[in-house]
Amino acid sequence: MPESRPEKLIIDGKRLDGRKFDELRPIKIEVDVLKRADGSCYLEMGKNKVVAAVYGPREVHPRHLQDPSKAIIRYRYNMAPFSVEERKRPGPDRRSIEISKVSKEAFEAVIMKELFPRSAIDIFVEVLQADAGSRTACINAASVALVDAGVPMKGILTSVAVAKVDGQLVLDPMKEEDNYGEADMPFAFLIRNSKIESIALIQMDGQMTKEEIKMALELAKKGAMEIYKLQREAIMKRYVTEEGIEVEEVNTDA
Amino acid sequence: MPEDALAEIKRDYVLSKLRDGERIDGRKLDEFRNIEIYPNIITKAEGSALVKLGNTQVVVGIKMQPGEPYPDAPNKGVIITNAELVPLASPTFEPGPPDENSVELARVVDRGIRESEAIDLEKLCIEEGKNVWIIFVDIHAIDDDGNLLDASSIAAISALLNTKVPASRFGLGEDYPLPVRDIPVSVTSLIAGSKYLVDPNKDEMSIGDYTLTISTNQKDYIVAIQKSGGYLLSEELFDELLEVSIRNARKIREIVANKS
Amino acid sequence: MREIVLPGDLISTNPKAAGSGTYVENGKVYSKTLGILDKNENQVRVIPLKGRYTPSLNDVVVGIVREVTSSGWVVNINSPYQAFLPSQENPEVKPNKKLNDILDIGDAIIAKVQNIDPNMRITLTMKDKMCNPIRFGRIIAINPARVPRVIGKKGSMIKLLKSELSVQIVVGKNGLIWLNGDRRKVSIAEEAIYLIEQEAHTEGLTDRIGEFIRRRKSDAGIET
Repeated sequence: MPESRPEKLIIDGKRLDGRKFDELRPIKIEVDVLKRADGSCYLEMGKNKVVAAVYGPREVHPRHLQDPSKAIIRYRYNMAPFSVEERKRPGPDRRSIEISKVSKEAFEAVIMKELFPRSAIDIFVEVLQADAGSRTACINAASVALVDAGVPMKGILTSVAVAKVDGQLVLDPMKEEDNYGEADMPFAFLIRNSKIESIALIQMDGQMTKEEIKMALELAKKGAMEIYKLQREAIMKRYVTEEGIEVEEVNTDA
Repeated sequence: MPEDALAEIKRDYVLSKLRDGERIDGRKLDEFRNIEIYPNIITKAEGSALVKLGNTQVVVGIKMQPGEPYPDAPNKGVIITNAELVPLASPTFEPGPPDENSVELARVVDRGIRESEAIDLEKLCIEEGKNVWIIFVDIHAIDDDGNLLDASSIAAISALLNTKVPASRFGLGEDYPLPVRDIPVSVTSLIAGSKYLVDPNKDEMSIGDYTLTISTNQKDYIVAIQKSGGYLLSEELFDELLEVSIRNARKIREIVANKS
Repeated sequence: MREIVLPGDLISTNPKAAGSGTYVENGKVYSKTLGILDKNENQVRVIPLKGRYTPSLNDVVVGIVREVTSSGWVVNINSPYQAFLPSQENPEVKPNKKLNDILDIGDAIIAKVQNIDPNMRITLTMKDKMCNPIRFGRIIAINPARVPRVIGKKGSMIKLLKSELSVQIVVGKNGLIWLNGDRRKVSIAEEAIYLIEQEAHTEGLTDRIGEFIRRRKSDAGIET
């Protein structure tokens, strides 16, 4: 093990940042933060800071990418060079390509893409600062941005990871837990009518027993429900003030 | 991916069979195709294997050379896994840089090897912080008749099992066998609504690119999971596939161990 | 206060009541988009708060010609899909006239959605008394989701604008609106429409817009 690994990741039943095992990092969500996009969201999850934009449904260029029966979904997860301690070379690396693929597929399963044949729905997510779990933060932001764009969906996607550190399952791992833990397992769920319906994304690396996997799923579901409430609140706050007045900016493009 | 009329017809056939709980090639829902392993077929490589999984064929070659360790693991060897889906293997593969499918394939195979700690990387340290052995695992798809991922995982670990560290070529003493201490096995299932088909062939894949891969080690620990494709997975099916994958992996692990 | 719903919110258990902005699964009606819940005994629907314009049959739209072909015009209707106006659907077409002399790139038209095929290929017609090429006046753009509010219940809002200001107004379902008449009155109408867009989901809006127009008219010294 590298020298920088803390001797213990759990001390007196608490995590290094003082959280309980089933406690999320602080989350902040702002809706409709970009003028040009059809829908957008800024989200912080611990030290992660990400911004998501949705464009579309819109025309597909180049044309040969069109699907005559449904909209194509494109998802771009991108890390800013300054988002991590050691500068990241700009552009997609293999990790980003894989994250973009599985995230796109999670959204493909919930967006009603057959309503918009031949079109594209583009989801762009920029990681401005990364801690652990940036892919889950990005999915949560993208999900809110899609709602804000008025894109028809079966429900809302909510994402959170579970890690195993010092033999203990913990919700929403931060950097040290992700780096030095025994396993990491990100999830995304389709939540409909405040109920978890199914799994839209699941990945895992590390070592866990079958029983631990099942416990991790339950822990993730609990965390996801809390995040879902925050996503919901943020959207509602954007569209209703206490007096019931909508406070949207005027679109003055003629 | 463009759909032709043929795929449409195949899909109907696969689905109609599936309604009766049957598969088009007569296999049970949780049954793998026949596995053939041909180790050491590339003598210029440090290790290699050709694997046939039904009609799917993959060659994996291992090359090794000394190089710099990662700064956060100064005393450990490095594994670099790469996959090429060359146009020869399928009418839908195109030349050019690795696309998202080949990147995902390589990364999931890599995860199985890495997370099972199959290779004792600390034994591959030449000089701490300066010089360690780099293992290049190159996956070359030859014929894609479905489930390239599991075929590649089997080929990768089989090739690693017969890999010799080429120490003498670099003036670092005698060659010695690569320290391999586990056999990770991936099991991929195609998800078709509430049903699943283990080790799908290409015709079965016409239902859709909806798969779940579960990799395990020899202690039956799960070491990697990957959901791939735009579908929703129920918790019930996930639970069932954990069992099915562990069961199948045990059998495959035995085949790999015997052939190497 | 009206209820705002999100995708996936359960809004009815009667599938027969499912209206626009909803979907049915296992006999339950869910919202499929962010919007305002509109529920009565017979129907439940969700009026979208955001989103792009998706064409429906017989929608009146304001469009801009993007391309002239040998058989008609390709028209941008502010939606994910371009529309096509075949030459035989334009009453101004005469055997001796070239198509680009009738409508050229950049020209605006009021047209009606005549046909939508399953691949969302949209055909327009101008063979309707509402339809015209636009040769004067102004075109303004609002969020298409706000169009129902600009029209108002049974056309109440648009009637108010027209009677208070005596200007011609055609509200395209696609969020493009054509205004024509006295320059100062058109400006007031434009301001009023933006105000409607901005406060689309507040109560008592028609009264407030009436007041706003009268105040602006007296500011500008226009006779009431």
